[in-house]
Amino acid sequence: MKINKKLLTLVSLMLVLVLVAVGCGKTTDAPSTGDTGASTKDTVIVAQNSDAKSLDLHATNDNASSRVSKQIYETLVSQNEKMEIKEGLATSWVAIDDLTYEFKLKEGVKFHNGEELTANDVKFTLTRALESSHVAHIVDAIDAEGIEVVDNYTVRIATKEPFAPILAHLAHSAAGILNEKAVTEAGEDYGQKPVGTGPFMLDKWNTGDSIELARFADYHGTAPKIEKIVFRNIAEGTSRTIGLETGDLDIIYDVAPTDVSRIEGDDNLQLLRDDAISTTYVSFNLNKAPFNDVRVRQAINYAVNMDLIVEAVYQGVGKPAKGPLPASVWGSNQDLQPYGHDVEKAKELMKEAGLENGFKTTIWTNDNQQRMDIAEILQNQLKDIGIEVEVKVMEWGAYLDGTAAGEHDMFILGWGTVTGDPNYGLYPLFHTSAHGAAGNRSFFSNPRVDELLDKGKVTIDPSEREKYYLEAQQIIRDEAPWIFTWDREELSGLRSNVKGFVHHPAGHHALWTVYFE
Amino acid sequence: MHKYILRRLLLLIPVMIGVTFIVFTMMYFTPGDPARIMLGESAPEHEVVKLREELGLSDPYIVQFGRYVFNAVRGDIGRSYATKRPVMNEILSRFPATLKLAAAGVLVAVVLGIPTGIISATKQYSLFDNVAMVLALIGVSMPNFWQGLMLVLLFSVQLKWFPSSGFSSFKHLVLPAVTLGTSSAAIITRMTRSSMLEVIRQDYIRTARAKGQVESVVINQHALKNALIPIITVIGLQFGYLLGGAVLTESIFSIPGVGRLMVDSIKSRDFPVVQGGVLFIAITFSFVNLFVDILYAFVDPRIKSQYK
Amino acid sequence: MSNAKTLQKQTLEKTSQPAKKKRSPWVTVWMSLKKNKSAMFGLIIILILIFCALTADFIAPYGFDDQDLMARFQTPNSKHWFGTDNFGRDILSRVIYGSRISLQVGFIAVGISMFTGGALGAIAGYYGGKMDNVIMRFMDILLAIPGILLAISIVAALGPGLQNVMIAVGIGSIPSYARIVRASVLSIRDQEFIEAAKAVGANDFRIITKHIIPNSMAPIIVQATLGVAGAILSAAGLSFIGLGIQPPTPEWGAMLSTGRQFLRDHWHIATFPGLAIMITIFALNLLGDGLRDALDPRLKS
Repeated sequence: MKINKKLLTLVSLMLVLVLVAVGCGKTTDAPSTGDTGASTKDTVIVAQNSDAKSLDLHATNDNASSRVSKQIYETLVSQNEKMEIKEGLATSWVAIDDLTYEFKLKEGVKFHNGEELTANDVKFTLTRALESSHVAHIVDAIDAEGIEVVDNYTVRIATKEPFAPILAHLAHSAAGILNEKAVTEAGEDYGQKPVGTGPFMLDKWNTGDSIELARFADYHGTAPKIEKIVFRNIAEGTSRTIGLETGDLDIIYDVAPTDVSRIEGDDNLQLLRDDAISTTYVSFNLNKAPFNDVRVRQAINYAVNMDLIVEAVYQGVGKPAKGPLPASVWGSNQDLQPYGHDVEKAKELMKEAGLENGFKTTIWTNDNQQRMDIAEILQNQLKDIGIEVEVKVMEWGAYLDGTAAGEHDMFILGWGTVTGDPNYGLYPLFHTSAHGAAGNRSFFSNPRVDELLDKGKVTIDPSEREKYYLEAQQIIRDEAPWIFTWDREELSGLRSNVKGFVHHPAGHHALWTVYFE
Repeated sequence: MHKYILRRLLLLIPVMIGVTFIVFTMMYFTPGDPARIMLGESAPEHEVVKLREELGLSDPYIVQFGRYVFNAVRGDIGRSYATKRPVMNEILSRFPATLKLAAAGVLVAVVLGIPTGIISATKQYSLFDNVAMVLALIGVSMPNFWQGLMLVLLFSVQLKWFPSSGFSSFKHLVLPAVTLGTSSAAIITRMTRSSMLEVIRQDYIRTARAKGQVESVVINQHALKNALIPIITVIGLQFGYLLGGAVLTESIFSIPGVGRLMVDSIKSRDFPVVQGGVLFIAITFSFVNLFVDILYAFVDPRIKSQYK
Repeated sequence: MSNAKTLQKQTLEKTSQPAKKKRSPWVTVWMSLKKNKSAMFGLIIILILIFCALTADFIAPYGFDDQDLMARFQTPNSKHWFGTDNFGRDILSRVIYGSRISLQVGFIAVGISMFTGGALGAIAGYYGGKMDNVIMRFMDILLAIPGILLAISIVAALGPGLQNVMIAVGIGSIPSYARIVRASVLSIRDQEFIEAAKAVGANDFRIITKHIIPNSMAPIIVQATLGVAGAILSAAGLSFIGLGIQPPTPEWGAMLSTGRQFLRDHWHIATFPGLAIMITIFALNLLGDGLRDALDPRLKS
């Protein structure tokens, strides 16, 4: 029976190992804040739907990373929640000619590594951003040769050509200012060792699970009331809501539409909803028949019952889009007449186009749940005017390549006007020069729209600009290169003791104003 | 014995080379340009081209594979496209969660499975036995992603006993461990039962009984010890499977483990992570299996003699 | 999923014991299977499922993609026995149509792995030597990658869709068939009747197909029955994480995945497809167990 003793020892050893494995991870994995929290609450726990990829502003441009980076970095100028330009690291700025702005930096601003902010850091940052394959498109109006350090606290930034929305671009979170020394020292690991001037600094990153930020003691502005921020990665909307209800979480981003009424109905919770700056659209390929005929495009717009789609796909969250720009973007034309649901009119237009018997076509989508849902419903609704639609779900990379090359009939995509300026929301999508991968995947081309967009880009006077953009949107609405689909809403859930939280339309919400009551 | 272990370890080398080759080739021919996927719809073409160059994706297949193997041999399995972190860190930071989950799953399975199996065997065809066997069969028939959802519905949503996601405390571990462990528990129950039945039928047990020993002594002292050998094998195999196969459970409960990392990386075409991850899992898996085999030989001298 | 595989492995261990039985006619097997009540119960359920799959167009009360956006999220009622989903589609109809997909995936995927694996195993076992070594090392490589992970990578490479899911799921279980067939080939390769066949000049192909394959049928059948269960589970799992069969195809795993978003408010959407999967797997397991008992000479009294 010797063997059996050995055996028993082994078995118990295995069990002990298992138990140790179960037990030991606990200390390493738990965010040190714990779930229940201390008596005086100074940690805010925020949940979003994925982990940040990198906290190097130039190494990624995904939403989850930006939402964290926003607390760590600051930009030269900033945008408030109405997307108006305000002071940032620069206290004042003047346009010294058509191309050049001169910025005066705030003095005595410290980076998290103790270095002081100087104009050199600004130059270093923008030069580095221009070389980045991830964010260059945010700053590429800037002339790399035209960034000039005047003195320690003065920097001039020139664009290659007159570019009206330059300040909005500099306010984008991807244009946050980095510290040259920190970047050089960290080398390839900079994405995990971010250094900014913001109110919070990275404390600990539990990869895939959570990111912990701690208050930066030498912050140059008003000190936040909270000590710590924990960003947790919870992919499932329902799980985020449950976490909020149980009090494990204080703020959740991107509330699942199905949970809206649940949060609204709970006295311990509050729901925050505001217009966002992104829109979802269904685009035609104007290079292909029959979509080269404006009557067909309009007919389809009339044939679709967008209210029903928004209700079914988004559970009533967000709004049917009136035109190409969501309401929260400056200069968006809210006087546009929505097409509405009018099958008779649609049939009439189809008849005028000589297609009263309909036709067969394909709609592409990537494997995004809502887009697939939209495609399925469109498939059903377009049967009403005799259009037979085949839905093709594609892999994201192939999808983007195919639509850029114009191989599609129809496709569904979204666009965020991240700078809050109509140039960003219209130029890449509708200008003739942007055909294909640059953004204009409908291959829309209209001389008047081109002219208006060109003027809007260089005209400094806001009221002039607004006029151009309003007209351009009217033409785009009438020409209907898209089925104008859905404008997103920013939806967050909060515990009712959370105060001072305001949405930023771009989705990168500031957390330093948050406190508990 | 040592020779046997050495031979098995040596055999692992060509297998791992094979795994590397297959996964690399499969990823290479997977449609979808990682650069385009990463940059999304708003990036102009020249940025995509630039990123592709940076990632070395414009090189021909053979160059890419050669470079990978060359670096891997020197212990460098690259950096993630998406996060720029070394792949090794990426995997090791997720591994504790996976290990914990698998261990907890096996624990659930063993605690449920072995006693149930023993009782079932000693009371063959009793009501307990029948119910247990039906439950065990249901246990292996239930898709664990569905079971996970139902557990969440009941215990998180309705009763609010356990959290539905996350991985920071013991409480978080309960539902995923039960989800993951159920089918293993069912398998272990069945295995324990049949193994016990086999032993009980054997002569020396009859002899022991005939000698008038107390039944519990017979079962515990003699039968169980001998029946345990195949059970251990099954437990080991289960542990191996749970390590590699917890993909769905991890995704249901938002557990930051290796499985979820793999799925996310495959979806975003983060090839170095997929490559390294599969290799890592394959090695772990093979080691667990080797360990089980050695254990098996260790406890059963008849088998030991075969390993020369 | 992995567990379905382990279960197979156990069965495999049992069944691949050197089969000493005289080539018992299948009738005997059927007789003993018929006595096994639970196996027959499983068989009946499977036959009902096959019937549903074949006649879905007639018995399903609605089409699988008939949307009614006005009648969304209905709980089970007299018009919709299983309720309606987020597009107002009848869940019962979708479950019925789903049986088509799942059975198709199950049988074809197993077919793929059985034929490929069987052929490879037979060749490896029969010829031995280098051929054996190469084939079995390749099998080791496949076995070293956990099944679900392998399936996910293959689907990613091939793209989603019914056909590719079947291939991906099928490839993962090739090694187990190869091993079974190889083992039984090895056990009978040198037996007298093979020698005799060789002596009368039968060629290798004939020997393999006429003598060796029939002799390894028993373990293969058991493995295949349980394999169908495993394949259905794997396919559902793939669809669940969005890498399998695409909507609007009413695949049970995909339906479950959709239902997941509405779990708290509309429990019925995720419940019924889940039950459908479970019942199918349960029936296949019952039948598989029964077949094993019927085919396993050791348990025959």
